[in-house]
Amino acid sequence: MVGRMVETESGRRIGRCRDMRAISGGGSLKVTQLVVGRRGRLEHFGIGTPRAQTPDAVPWESVVRIEGSRIVVRDGTELV
Amino acid sequence: MTDSVDLGLNVFDHQLLDSEGRRCGKVDDLALEGGPGEELEVVAILCGPGVWRGRAGVLGRIAAWLGGGGRVRVPWSEVAEIRSHVKLGRRAEELGLGRGDDRLRPYIEKIPGSDH
Amino acid sequence: MKIFQVALGILAAIGGFVDIGDLVFNVSAGATFGYQLLWVIVIGVVGIIVYSEMCGRVAAVSGKAVFDAVRERLGFKVGLVALISAQVVNLMTLTAEIGGVAICLQLLSGLSYRWMIFVAGVVFAIVVWVTPFDWIERVFGYGGLCMLVFAVAAVKLHPSWGAVAHGFVPHMNTQSPLLYAYFAVGLLGAAMTPYEVYFYSSGGVEERWGPKDLGLNRVNAQIGYGLGGLLSFSLMIVGGALFLDKGVQPEFLGSIALGVEVPLGQIGLLLALVGILFAVGGASIDTLFSGAYNLAQFLGWEWGRYRHPRGAPRFTATWIVLLVLALGAVMTGVDPVQLTEYAVIFSAVALPLTYIPIFLVANDRAYMREYTNGRLGNVLGLVYLVVIMLIALTAVPLMILTNVGQN
Repeated sequence: MVGRMVETESGRRIGRCRDMRAISGGGSLKVTQLVVGRRGRLEHFGIGTPRAQTPDAVPWESVVRIEGSRIVVRDGTELV
Repeated sequence: MTDSVDLGLNVFDHQLLDSEGRRCGKVDDLALEGGPGEELEVVAILCGPGVWRGRAGVLGRIAAWLGGGGRVRVPWSEVAEIRSHVKLGRRAEELGLGRGDDRLRPYIEKIPGSDH
Repeated sequence: MKIFQVALGILAAIGGFVDIGDLVFNVSAGATFGYQLLWVIVIGVVGIIVYSEMCGRVAAVSGKAVFDAVRERLGFKVGLVALISAQVVNLMTLTAEIGGVAICLQLLSGLSYRWMIFVAGVVFAIVVWVTPFDWIERVFGYGGLCMLVFAVAAVKLHPSWGAVAHGFVPHMNTQSPLLYAYFAVGLLGAAMTPYEVYFYSSGGVEERWGPKDLGLNRVNAQIGYGLGGLLSFSLMIVGGALFLDKGVQPEFLGSIALGVEVPLGQIGLLLALVGILFAVGGASIDTLFSGAYNLAQFLGWEWGRYRHPRGAPRFTATWIVLLVLALGAVMTGVDPVQLTEYAVIFSAVALPLTYIPIFLVANDRAYMREYTNGRLGNVLGLVYLVVIMLIALTAVPLMILTNVGQN
């Protein structure tokens, strides 16, 4: 998943998937978001404080399909 | 434990500690189940030389071969908490981890002073 | 009491500062360029202070040693490359150092080199297995203080102090700029040896350093290495004062020690040999353990001297295997001084792979909480990142172009 380009169905590029965010609870770990784009990369390298307010991810529910080197999300998906 | 965690940042390649604080490997890979349109869940931690094969190209395959190719699957339910390391809720032996050390220990113990 | 402890730690750091790479490069640089490269030593000493202080702080605050950080920050694939290159360089360095110890033993005892290799190996194995670690560090550290005889020799040789002072100003007065650059790179590589920081940071994790130890970490690094730098100056001054005009290259450790005999007689020679023996011997142990620390930390094995051999079997087996491999390599008759040059150059090439992850982690608030690099820390850290990248890129070309410093 990580490293693939995230695009909407109509072809708009949102950014590259840098990581996956998940929530743990009740003995399971469920993926909630894909971390996308530049801020995600900086965070991965430890520069800057990850701020919850800055939009840097797309919800997992917005993913329609994964084909080849792309992750396709529904039109209208924005970074949250 | 309902905080969100970034898998690449906080879980992958982090140290595994068992319930007694013993180091027993790293998170070499994660097993996920699910796909687009349904839930995507991390179901297990994968650990061991056999897992390296896929993660580092040619070097990874050589390392996997050198290491003996074993792999251990630790269900995610065994994870007690995630901090700067991944803490497991049971002892390493019970989960099949740290076997390399356990296998080697009898030989090391033969040398006098090994508990020194 | 605390000051006493700190002072002892500093003394051990001074005695342990010089290893075979410093010996070879500092004296050779002196023999080739006189005092012109003294300013490079200053850059190298500040560099190792910056590097080790960061590693110490990361260990104290995050509880992670260098190769934990390497794997977490660079990932498995790139981290594996960093690990392999670190281990190869480590083994080369270890081989050169054990060879150096064997040479000293041979010079001191008059017995055959081959036998002294064997003796060195057996003594190391027993000492490491049986002796508590703080004792080992103290003994080798204090024994290494005999190296101060080089400082005395440097003064007694009455070098032209004007020329010495001029050496601290960056300048180049030579027909061979490439050779000058090669020595500059070698001096920096020898000063900023990574195995020392692997060992230092692993020790910090073992000692369970916490934020309250940060002050100690800083003092240890600054004063210990700073004063250790005086030894490097002394080596270069001795090399310059004795060998420059004669066109002699001190190719043997014996020649380096003999350099001290000139101003200080037999006592000087003896102290020099003993100093080299303990300094290089102590470095061998640090290098040996670094190899085991790196592998265990990267793969997640239990590790540490405080775990005792039975508590960390694979870690123990690793250093035993490394020792045997190095002994075997020395037995093949490879020249330790020649090998040292290669080890230092390759060490310079591999340096970015372990410096960068530490620099990143040192800035990561999630790991370091409020103890991230301050502004000065980051300025210095970035400056040295540039320095390290420069020497990493130019080291091998310069080595080839100057025919490993033979020109």
